[in-house]
Amino acid sequence: MLIMPRTAFIPARPRPLTDVEFCAWIGQAMPDDRLEYHRGFLGIDTTAVISTLPEPERRRLGALASAAHRAFEADLVHLVQVRLGPDRFAYLAIARTKPRRTPVPLARLLEDAEAA
Amino acid sequence: MHPPISPSDLATLIDEADLAARRLHRKLALPAADLDDLRQDLLVDLICRLPGFDARRGSIGAFAGIILRNQSARIAIRHHRQRRAQGGTVLSLDAPIAGGVEPLGCLLAETDGLAAWHGQDASAAEDAELRHDLALALGALPEEARRLCAALGTCAIAEIVSHSGISRSALYRRIARLRLDLAMRGFGARWDASRAA
Repeated sequence: MLIMPRTAFIPARPRPLTDVEFCAWIGQAMPDDRLEYHRGFLGIDTTAVISTLPEPERRRLGALASAAHRAFEADLVHLVQVRLGPDRFAYLAIARTKPRRTPVPLARLLEDAEAA
Repeated sequence: MHPPISPSDLATLIDEADLAARRLHRKLALPAADLDDLRQDLLVDLICRLPGFDARRGSIGAFAGIILRNQSARIAIRHHRQRRAQGGTVLSLDAPIAGGVEPLGCLLAETDGLAAWHGQDASAAEDAELRHDLALALGALPEEARRLCAALGTCAIAEIVSHSGISRSALYRRIARLRLDLAMRGFGARWDASRAA
């Protein structure tokens, strides 16, 4: 189990976060920046029928969770959760150092596409 | 066929052209780099008019003096007309401003350019940085997303649909995912910290 140090992080806002906003935060975040992207029980809140959220909210949260997982798989963030109480968690994204990959110039990408 | 010009006459013409060029250069307050051009223009014009030279009417030096004075006057008139059209100043980016050494183009920032005045404040340095950042972002994208980027850069949506065989709705879903992938790497959407607070 990951024990979170008591450091400040950006708390979930009254206006819910969208997947695009979350990705934009990753794009601009410095390593170790933190963002709370959800508060509740993500597994339940995103699942149809058992979620107590209105359907548009549930869809938004599902897209946000997918984006978070995608960012995690791309090695851009750590995803952790902090227990707040019974069945209630703060879900945090912690920005990682951007992985270094071989640059691909746009011109070469387009040339390769036209050649294919 | 005119007789070839003697070396001493040629030396006279060159000296006269040089003197006339320096005089004109000083009167017009031109940049130092323009002196050679002036000298060459005057000398070429003088040589072109040599067939009109009659040794019985005077020396070649006197002939050159008259030709050079007239041509200098023509150049000066043209130059003044051009300056008036440009609001009284020399506007060539390749020419140094009076008293300077660096060409005007080297002294102007990107934001002083005509494009910037019209709202197109493109900077070569920023463009280079953007291309570099984009290459890094493209390198970090998943292969599938990179292929989609390339396809979108060269084909219309309808073409991609017909070539790849995927449905239009599936393609738009992939584009939406690509948008997120690019946003994660700093392209597209911006995070507004003040709105998040």
